[in-house]
Parts: sequence; structure tokens; C-alpha cells
Amino acid sequence: MSFTLRTINVGRNVARVLFNKVCYPVSQTVAYKSDQSQAENRPTVAKLDPLQKSQLIDFGKYVSDCLPKYVQKVQITSGNELEVLVHPDGIIPALQFFKDHHSAQFVNLVDIAGMDVPSRPNRFEIIYNLLSLRYNSRIRVKTYTDELTPIDSACEVFKAANWYEREIWDMYGVFFANHPDLRRILTDYGFEGHPFRKDFPLSGYVELRYDDEQKRVVVEPLELAQEFRRFELSAPWEQFPNFRGNPVEEVTTADPKKE
Amino acid sequence: MAARQAIQVGTKTVRPVLSLDSSEARSRVLSLYKAWYRQIPYIVKDYDIPKSEEQCRAKLREYFVKNKDVTDVRVIDLLVIKGQMELKEVINIWKQKGHIMTYFKPTEEPKPKDFLSKFFSGLE
Repeated sequence: MSFTLRTINVGRNVARVLFNKVCYPVSQTVAYKSDQSQAENRPTVAKLDPLQKSQLIDFGKYVSDCLPKYVQKVQITSGNELEVLVHPDGIIPALQFFKDHHSAQFVNLVDIAGMDVPSRPNRFEIIYNLLSLRYNSRIRVKTYTDELTPIDSACEVFKAANWYEREIWDMYGVFFANHPDLRRILTDYGFEGHPFRKDFPLSGYVELRYDDEQKRVVVEPLELAQEFRRFELSAPWEQFPNFRGNPVEEVTTADPKKE
Repeated sequence: MAARQAIQVGTKTVRPVLSLDSSEARSRVLSLYKAWYRQIPYIVKDYDIPKSEEQCRAKLREYFVKNKDVTDVRVIDLLVIKGQMELKEVINIWKQKGHIMTYFKPTEEPKPKDFLSKFFSGLE
């Protein structure tokens, strides 16, 4: 479900941040780890289909030509995952395009994930995972926002977006404009804050206990017996080895001169 | 459509949440306050809480006054939206008695502030 996806996305993005600093040649050659440069033949690793990848690259270029106003960047991650980075104003037209265009037909919305990177000016990233059963293909559409800027709800395009957007509203506090039924979905009534924000403490703000005098569960501010401890979380082994050898490849970038 | 227009917040031009200017935001806040105020008798009756209507009205006022210094139109709008969601949860009885009583915090002991009470509670 979306939880696993979310962690994967975060990990991938860490790798992306690391790799974006490196310059890549314009041509679409893949920079693999040295031991992976020959054909992948390990049985447990997904094979990379070069034909599928070239089709995805072509489709990415086509998309950015069709929606030049909204598509800011098209990139390929992990070898064969196409990502389209869209301006928040154009998320509805972009999703509508992917759903209704004859040669796309991404009619299934698999998931909407959120991501919080507090250091960015637009700290939240909203990630739409689409699936085209007709062409057996997946695509990822990304957009961004901050705490106060509303994003148009995708409910009018995909019915499935309803609960996913409620989930994002509940976990990140991103407001979706024109959502038919925006309310909490995972947290308890009366819960304050948005737990997936990076500035939300791991232990939360309140604790609940049964009070015998009041004969009900009471909510009290959290008091920890121990002061904050600095945990050493870095491990000696590689956390995301698969992302080391698979840098993000840009297919197209929006030309700033055109805007 | 109002949501398509842009508003000026500080030096930035941004997309509004609901209101285009502070007077509109103010009227939204007032109507939310009135909606809560009118709901109070039913809250007291439906949830069977050990509080009177006067106490509930004072608590309502306290919660609104807590945010009196918020000036950003979009922040006000988001607070109003959250307040509306909360009111809906109350009206539909999705909340329970314990959730309502959480507003009053009867079990929380106030933190000791002056020296002597800190001393008695063993902090200093």
C-alpha cells in the first residue's frame, strides 16, 4: 500500500538528491555500477528491457511536447521508471491527458503518495502512480506544494483519488481544493497535527490513558521519563544499493526561454 | 471561480485557499463561530457531558481567541476548514464523549510557574 511506496519514494529521492549533483552526458547511455555494465543475469533482479525503455523515453518526449505549459521535466529513474514532473497548476490537465489520450490510456490510479522535504521552498511532493492496462505500462506524475497552497483535487479525473487525497490531507496537511469529502481518514477524532510531516516528533505530542476517576480515556501532553537521546541511526552497510548505480536520467527539461 | 485568482500575501503572489481578502476570511471565522455557538445546546444534550452551556461557550471563545493574532488569510482559511471538519465530526456524533471532554483537559495539572510551587513539586 501507500506506506511502502512512500518509503521507497523517499529512499529513491535521497539517491536522486545525491546524483543530481553529478553531470550526465546528454545521450541516453546508462551509467551502471562497474559490475553491472554487462547484461543483467542475476535471477532475482528485474531485467531491464531496452526496448521498453526506449519507448518510455519516446513517450516522455511526446508528453513534454504535448503539454509544454505544464510539464517541467521528464526523467527516468531506476532504469525504466518514467517520471513526469508537473507544475501544480497543471496537474488536472496532465492527469486528464494521461487518462484520456489514446496512446496513453493510464486509466488506473494506483496510488497517490506524499513526500516531505522541509529544506525545499515547496516542501511537499505529491506523487501520482498511474497504470495503463492497455499498454502494460506505469508512469509516475509528480507535483509539489507547500503547507498553505491548495492543490486541485484529482477526484474529477480519477474516482480513486478520493481516499488517497484524504490520506495525504490527514498525514501531511496538504489541502486539496474542490475535493468532495475532505476529512480525516487515519487519525483519531480530535487528533492534532499531521504525523508524516518531518517536523512531527516521533513520539507525538500527546499520550492517551484510561483515567479511573473520569471513567474514560484522557488525552494528556506527552511527558517522557527520559530526556531526548541522540540515536545513532547510520549503518555501516549500504542502505539503498540499487539506487547507487541507477542515476536519474533526464529525458527533457522545460526550456526556461519558452516561458 | 475564486480559487483560480491569485492573492497577495506579504510580498508573494499566491493561490488562495478560500478567501480572497481578510474581510472575507473574517466573515468565515464569524460564521464558523456562530455555527459552533448554535450547536452547543445539542452538544451538551447529545454527549451528556458534565458541563453547562455557559462553560462550553467560554471554552469555545477560548479556542477562537487563542488564534486571534493570526493575520495570514490562508492560515485563517485552513484553521476555519479544520474547525468546520471538527464541527461536522461533533454534529454527526462521530466523536465520543471523551473526545469532547478533551477540550476541557480536566486531568492536566498546570505546570508550576513560581519558585515555591516548583520547589514543592520537586523540580528545583
